[in-house]
Amino acid sequence: MFEILDMGASALTAQRVRMDTIAGNIANINTLRDANGKPNPYRRRFVVFAPGQAGDTSKPGVHVKSIELDQSPLPKRYDPGNPDADKDGYVSYPNVDMAIEFVNALEASRAYEANVTMMDTAKSMFNSSLRLLA
Amino acid sequence: MYLDRLMNQGSVPVLEQFAQFTDARQNVLGEDIANVSTPNYVQKDLSLEKFQELMRAKIDKTDSAGPGSLDFNDISMDIQNPSNDILFHDGNNRSMEQLMSDQAKNALMHNLAVELLRTQYAELETAIKEGK
Repeated sequence: MFEILDMGASALTAQRVRMDTIAGNIANINTLRDANGKPNPYRRRFVVFAPGQAGDTSKPGVHVKSIELDQSPLPKRYDPGNPDADKDGYVSYPNVDMAIEFVNALEASRAYEANVTMMDTAKSMFNSSLRLLA
Repeated sequence: MYLDRLMNQGSVPVLEQFAQFTDARQNVLGEDIANVSTPNYVQKDLSLEKFQELMRAKIDKTDSAGPGSLDFNDISMDIQNPSNDILFHDGNNRSMEQLMSDQAKNALMHNLAVELLRTQYAELETAIKEGK
């Protein structure tokens, strides 16, 4: 009877990881170098969900299967004075699109809310069943 | 034996079965909501109509058998895929509005069944206490 709460919790975790990934993308929207300071524009990350709970996929729920790198081409801007410019004077920027990130963030937020509502409803059902005993 | 007859006649077994059904359905709907962003996930549901149909057939059959012989535990439900219309590029046929209203309705039905059961048990208690 309580597995529905585990299921909801797995979805909350998954949506939170999705939101973290989106936050990372937005934070790095202008990052042109990697952690070591070498020229390597940031690539957009996205989560891939799969059914089943994280620890045991045979249990109903959802988990983050992987966090992938978006392999779409990096947009280039003409900026010959930039130290990261190529020989033609173009600088590659991260392939993060603010509009896409916001749409995904909104979807993650709504999905999170839906799961909280579902868990709340399940709790009200447990409570009403428990009242049978009293 | 006598207590068994008391507990297994009237609406008690029907309500028990209904509460069990709504509980199981809430689990299925919960899984659908959890997987609302999962690629290629097809939404599932337990059909309320099918359950009521099975229940009706069972009640009709047991009516002639007399009181004390109702047993609904053999009603089993198959998980169904309510719609095959894939609208999203990720292959998921989610409908958040449908899911949320279904789970709200399901919870209300569960609470209704449990509340009616409570009334039945309270009446039984009154009878045991000889109306005191």
